[in-house]
Amino acid sequence: MSFTHEVYMFEQQFMNALAIGSVYALTALGATLIYGIMGILDIANAGAYLVGAYLGWYIYHATGNIALAFIGSTIAVGAIGVVLQKTIYSPILAKQNTLSIIPLVAAVGLFTMSSDVIRLICGPYSRSYNFKTSVDSIQVGPIVLIPAWILIFVLTALCLLVLWFLLNRTKLGLAWRATANDAEIAKVCGVDTNKSMALSYILGYGFAAIAGIMVGILYNSITPALGEVPSYKMLAIIVLGGLGNPVGTVIAGLLIGFVEVFVSAYTNLPIPKDAIAFVVLIIMLLIKPEGLMGQKNKM
Amino acid sequence: MKKLLVTLLSVAMVLAMTACGSGSGSGDGGSSEDPIKIGFFAPVSAPAASADGTSSLNSAKLAVELCNANGGINGRQVELVDFDDKLDTKEAANIAENLASDDSIAAVVSGSYSGPTKVAAPIFQDAGKLMVSAYAVHPDVVNAGDLIFSQSFPQKLQGAAAAYYATNELKAKKVAIISVDLDFGSAQVEGFKEELKKINSPIEIVYEQAIAISDNDMSSPVTAAAAAGADLIYSVNYYEQAAQVLREVGQKKLDIPVLGCEGADSFELLNIAGEYADGLYITTNMNRDDENEQTQEYIKNYVEKYDIQPDMVGASVYDAFQVVFSALEECGEDTAAMQKYIAGLENFNTVTGELIRYNDDGSAVKPVQIQLVTDGEYHYAGVIDDPEIIDPANY
Repeated sequence: MSFTHEVYMFEQQFMNALAIGSVYALTALGATLIYGIMGILDIANAGAYLVGAYLGWYIYHATGNIALAFIGSTIAVGAIGVVLQKTIYSPILAKQNTLSIIPLVAAVGLFTMSSDVIRLICGPYSRSYNFKTSVDSIQVGPIVLIPAWILIFVLTALCLLVLWFLLNRTKLGLAWRATANDAEIAKVCGVDTNKSMALSYILGYGFAAIAGIMVGILYNSITPALGEVPSYKMLAIIVLGGLGNPVGTVIAGLLIGFVEVFVSAYTNLPIPKDAIAFVVLIIMLLIKPEGLMGQKNKM
Repeated sequence: MKKLLVTLLSVAMVLAMTACGSGSGSGDGGSSEDPIKIGFFAPVSAPAASADGTSSLNSAKLAVELCNANGGINGRQVELVDFDDKLDTKEAANIAENLASDDSIAAVVSGSYSGPTKVAAPIFQDAGKLMVSAYAVHPDVVNAGDLIFSQSFPQKLQGAAAAYYATNELKAKKVAIISVDLDFGSAQVEGFKEELKKINSPIEIVYEQAIAISDNDMSSPVTAAAAAGADLIYSVNYYEQAAQVLREVGQKKLDIPVLGCEGADSFELLNIAGEYADGLYITTNMNRDDENEQTQEYIKNYVEKYDIQPDMVGASVYDAFQVVFSALEECGEDTAAMQKYIAGLENFNTVTGELIRYNDDGSAVKPVQIQLVTDGEYHYAGVIDDPEIIDPANY
């Protein structure tokens, strides 16, 4: 089954963009949840993405079960997130008169450590998921879909659904939203802000792990450098979306995916694709500094 | 709580320091005579380059080990003095200063990319230290002076060879060029285009895109290439991106052949692209089917010691050492004599084919190999040895 004679450029690029955008959305979602509660730009989220991808690989190769890989890795990385939150981030934030740059430096340090630890333990060579599916691709009308995309769409939608449900239909979610809105007042009203922070990290790092595994399956390659580009690109995305706003982040992730694909497909601009996220961000900051869906007072 | 944090931080610091590479000497110092020391540097710990850096270092160690096992050089054992340049030019400069001022170092091999190597080359030249660059082929490397040699052909040359092969053997008519947005990519593309004109090739370039090295998503350029009607994709990329091009073409059943370059010459590409690698042509300087005993010995020894297939990077490093060993054997630790010897080498047998000679500027003249992936392995598919094309002086 070949479609060399007819490639529907626009439709196919649209699907390319949707897939890339979904991955960005999920990757950045973790960082935005953490920002919402802790007020920290947690670059170590990219470390969770990296570690999640590797843990998932080990589980998948030990058991042959991809679902187990997702679940196991997410739980493990989420747990690591909570440990880091309790032992590093919260104590730093609890101190009076700390410069706001200190948690950021801690995050950078953790991220750097994670990629070196992975390199030392797992070696520099790439690892492949080799996730086998019964078909390589499916032709649906004018476009060709690959199974990895379907996995990405389904999983991203699922994660967003779970997040929406959690935040809007549970007490825990209510507490989270209250804490994100104003931690002081929430505490006074009897909200357990510690639980909200832990939730941020479990979800935040958990989503990053899921995104990491998805990327590992999509490109069939994970290396210790996996988190490098996401570490800074996700910052552009969460600022673009409005810091701390999950919906904004998802929209921003999708938007960046689309802009990247269409600029690269239809133009020959000398901008590297990875810089596009920042160009879009700068344009947005000039028009609407609080981001796509940020609120003015949150800045 | 604080204790835990301090412990964690200490562990982190220790890990970070051990990751900072070694100035270790490897190799046997078993003989009663002083060992011959050869300096070496490669990007072992930089995340983006670590695979190549490790490959380089592994080959360097193997070269020294095998040399020593065969009695060393004129009875003296060889000692490898290796450094990790972390793919950082400042670090490379420091290492070069270090090695250049060390009188016990007989010669140096660069196992690194062009960035660090072209910074190091002038330092060695100025200090009167001989250096052979394994696979860094930027012109600035050999242009540093007469003590600097390069083991592999420059990128423009490789691009020209690709143009020749695409025109005459692959009979392509519409080529889409997907390249990496670095000197490595742009130089080959330039060579490719110039050669097309030179040989009056009927090839039309229907699509062209340069992709940043950090970007592994090839879905949009490959889709665009297919939409433009390409009957050949010229993928001037390193193995990660080349593998993604292959996967895109394979998974979506686009049925477009791909011609890659030596950047794709790695078991990594075979692992990542899996079944989609079959049918890939590459220009490179390593012929795995070379009946040359040395080549087969090298492959066998490498696989035995490291349990993975060697790649072009490693093979180039191994060759650089063979040249240095040969020079040391003939001339002893006399830099001027070694320089003359190497400059005058002819038809020197290496793991990466026959090194015909070195040009006046120190760049190697050797045939360009064409390899094809069949059944998940690289095999001989052709060779380009037209003197017009393979002489670096023409570029």
